[in-house]
Amino acid sequence: MRISRQTLLLLSMLFCIYTQIAGQEQNNQLPEKYVESVQRSTHTNNWAVLVDASRFWFNYRHVANVLSIYRSVKRLGIPDSQIILMLADDMACNARNPRPGQVYNNAKQHINVYGDDVEVDYRGYEVTVENFVRLLTGRTQNGTARSKKLLTDAGSNVLIYLTGHGGDGFLKFQDSEEITSQELADAVEQMWEKKRYNELFFMVDTCQAASLYEKFTSPNVLAVASSLVGEDSLSHHVDQSIGVYMIDRYTYYALEFLERVQPNSKKSMGEFLQVCPKRVCISTVGVRKDLYRRDPNKVPITDFFGSIRPTQISTGRINITLEDEEDFINAAIAAEEEAAQRSTFKVEFPSQFPTELFK
Amino acid sequence: MGLLSDPSLTPRGKFGRTLAKHSGKISLFFYIAGLAWFVCLSHPEFSHGTYLSENALSPGLVDPEIGQDSLRLAQSLYEELQRERTEHKSTTPHAWIAAKMHQIGLETHVHNFTLRYPFSAGKEYHGKNVYGILRAPRVSSTEGVVYAAPYRAVNSVHVDITASVPILLAFADFARKKNYWAKDLVFLVTEQEQLGMHAWLEAYHEGGIRDSPILRCGNLPARAGALQAALNLEVQDLDIDYIDVKIEGLNGQLPNLDMFNLVQRLTSRSSLSSGYKHSPRKKRRSHRGSLEDNLRHMLEMLKIQATGVPNGNHGLFHRYRIESLTLEAVKRTTNTNNNNRYGSGLSLLKTIEGISRSLNNLLERFHQSYFFYILVQNDRFVSIGDYMPCLIALASPMFIKAFLLWLTTTATTDETVSEDDSVPSHDEEKPPIQLPYISVVLFMVSALLLGFLCNTLPFSQHVRDYFTSMGVSTEMSVGLILGVQVLLGTLLPLFYTLPEHGLELLHIGVLIFMGVTLIVTGLLNFALGFILAVIISPLTILLNNEHSKGFRQNLTRLYTFLLNPIVIIYLLILWLTLFEFPELSFAELGMRALKASLDAITFGLMDSIIYGNWLYTAIAAIYFPLWILLWTLSLGRQNLITQLEKKTN
Repeated sequence: MRISRQTLLLLSMLFCIYTQIAGQEQNNQLPEKYVESVQRSTHTNNWAVLVDASRFWFNYRHVANVLSIYRSVKRLGIPDSQIILMLADDMACNARNPRPGQVYNNAKQHINVYGDDVEVDYRGYEVTVENFVRLLTGRTQNGTARSKKLLTDAGSNVLIYLTGHGGDGFLKFQDSEEITSQELADAVEQMWEKKRYNELFFMVDTCQAASLYEKFTSPNVLAVASSLVGEDSLSHHVDQSIGVYMIDRYTYYALEFLERVQPNSKKSMGEFLQVCPKRVCISTVGVRKDLYRRDPNKVPITDFFGSIRPTQISTGRINITLEDEEDFINAAIAAEEEAAQRSTFKVEFPSQFPTELFK
Repeated sequence: MGLLSDPSLTPRGKFGRTLAKHSGKISLFFYIAGLAWFVCLSHPEFSHGTYLSENALSPGLVDPEIGQDSLRLAQSLYEELQRERTEHKSTTPHAWIAAKMHQIGLETHVHNFTLRYPFSAGKEYHGKNVYGILRAPRVSSTEGVVYAAPYRAVNSVHVDITASVPILLAFADFARKKNYWAKDLVFLVTEQEQLGMHAWLEAYHEGGIRDSPILRCGNLPARAGALQAALNLEVQDLDIDYIDVKIEGLNGQLPNLDMFNLVQRLTSRSSLSSGYKHSPRKKRRSHRGSLEDNLRHMLEMLKIQATGVPNGNHGLFHRYRIESLTLEAVKRTTNTNNNNRYGSGLSLLKTIEGISRSLNNLLERFHQSYFFYILVQNDRFVSIGDYMPCLIALASPMFIKAFLLWLTTTATTDETVSEDDSVPSHDEEKPPIQLPYISVVLFMVSALLLGFLCNTLPFSQHVRDYFTSMGVSTEMSVGLILGVQVLLGTLLPLFYTLPEHGLELLHIGVLIFMGVTLIVTGLLNFALGFILAVIISPLTILLNNEHSKGFRQNLTRLYTFLLNPIVIIYLLILWLTLFEFPELSFAELGMRALKASLDAITFGLMDSIIYGNWLYTAIAAIYFPLWILLWTLSLGRQNLITQLEKKTN
């Protein structure tokens, strides 16, 4: 009896261990289909919110940062209508600027980042915490222009780039107010609840930048910051002829990377997250991946910095049924007749894609 | 048993009396502590390193663009000006300066001013300032920065600083070609030393609103918005040995420390030897940074601040909250470096360019760094929070002693009452002590009235006209007015006898009055407050109602007598004359010193009337009455004796 009892105990223990191991093995092997579907991008459009939160002439570099990123995302295919550009000060027209109307991001001055086709959506004193949060959460005031709204949906990949003067848990806006990391996290959470994004890439270049993404809880957010809490982000170099710092280190190296990216590039977000090692950045770049489902090394960088325009060619007929078909047909006929009356009217589309940039 | 339970010795009285016994020692302790604290400030442990706290200034981020051609222009202008000077021995070549400014392309104007000398009626001095405005090309004229150069005529007694005008014009020529100015640049050439600058500033800020009858400034034809900063140049030659930065302004005001640091930073960048109270290199090398050197540095700064007279044209800007300082470029005397003769001139131009670009970057008025500080070295300073305690320590024994005196005055009366009754009595039963408040207050008011007269009589037009019509010279008339006042003040205690306990009450009143005055003066002008506290405070230790006898009393009287403002001025000037003219006999020295001190008083009065320096006002209206009261206290023994005699009779 005694022996059989012991063996029984032993057997039951063995069984327990076996089942646990078996269970673990089962957990590790997710269905392949599911893994693939998660890694595949599901977004349908791209948006970018680029914010320079600080004013004053000696903060020239922040404007240069934002305009450089603006130029890159535009080059990679996000149209102006889907870029919200916020500039807290007008460096180009500052009386202290020896080169009126121009902003450079490099002392060698080969690219004027404030070129001909810059559309600033929020300018000067319009750049406030209130406007920024309203923009993100879609609670813009009545009468806000369409170009000043973030018209994203559940299929949008959104790039948010912030630069300015930050501290532990806040980013200073203008010279009078600041947004806290909690406010920022709440805004992103609201965006998620309102299905205003598919995935969000949050990029900050300020001092103690990592403190800004600490409070995030919403899913599908990938965040990168130029410095950890307690660290300063540094500027890259001075233009001795203008007498201001030109660009910040993190943005400078990020741009160096982005310049080599083409719209059909195979570069991944994983590579982008490592653009600024400590030896060149001096500050430590912080990355937050725990809210993000996909493996950044398998995500193409164009998922955030470029724009997809999915086209599907169909050979067969597609039946589109409308709710009030009659009204639609009548309206279409009326419109056609009206157009026929103004037969001289000719529609010209401006070139939507700035091809001259790729020459 | 008796001692502990004796109700006549209330804890308050007992405690007070014990302390009062040692009040002299307590005062001495505080006095020594205050002085020791000040000496400690010279130690690096107690001072801070200077730093720039205004981000907008960002000094030295631009490469200087001003070049050899600007220096060559300065040289040719200098030669031209030297030729002009042969024709204008005692006047300024206004036409030449205005023509040059016009040629450079500045908006040039001339400002006329007239000084009606307040004493000799009808005497008038005329002056002209020339200024040119370079308008900021891309913004409205809401802000401006002044670059000023005083011009001294050939027959001036001061050091020749003719080279400042060519340097200013060469810089104006350079600035004219640049498009990045965000503030108007005003290039100003003044004459008649500080008078011209004062007249221009008055006209700039108050022209068209009001005009003083003494210095008629008129109005300016053009302005350049709110002035943010000013740089005054006193260049002795284009070949510069070193730069002395002068900062002390009217009434001891100082420019923002950021402005001083900015200049230090930029001069060192363009490899110019520069600093506050700078001296030639050879003298400097031996004892730099030692405690003794630091202390001397601080004391020299306090010495200049205490007089309230600015040591350069920059000092007048401080009145309008415009940060300004003077760069005094001192001529090279040793011919050691002949091959690089004008290299230093170019460095100076580069420094001015650097300063101008940093000031151009300013977004607000200077508001970041310190406004109240003492420089220990060029790169070290003591802030107001660190130096005020020594003044507090010097003034606090006055309040402590006043409190203790108050306690003992009541306690002694308690004791006498209880002894008379020979029965321990309670507090409620005692009659309230009759202190002669009214007569003491009246006495203090009459002393203040004398001070008031000292202040109003010399300022009054009628009095001045009367003396002028009598044919008395200015110095004599002022001396006469003040002499009579001082005599009255000295005699006041002899024909105004205070009643019983009046002296104690007066003592309390004087101590509080003295402490408050010193602290208020110290807040307005620390240097003046501190120096006055150092010389007045010993009286707190010496003055004592009860035990002053023989030697101590005589010492107190002598010290009080020496503290008389007029005696102090005379002795100081006598001391200086002794060093200046050691060959004179004693009688001659005395006469010369008397004449010089009358002059000094008149100058003080002039400064007060024309520039608004309040040293004269403070001394005449506050410290002279205070002295009368102290004098009464130190003589007080006699009155007390007569009272006692009356009592016994």
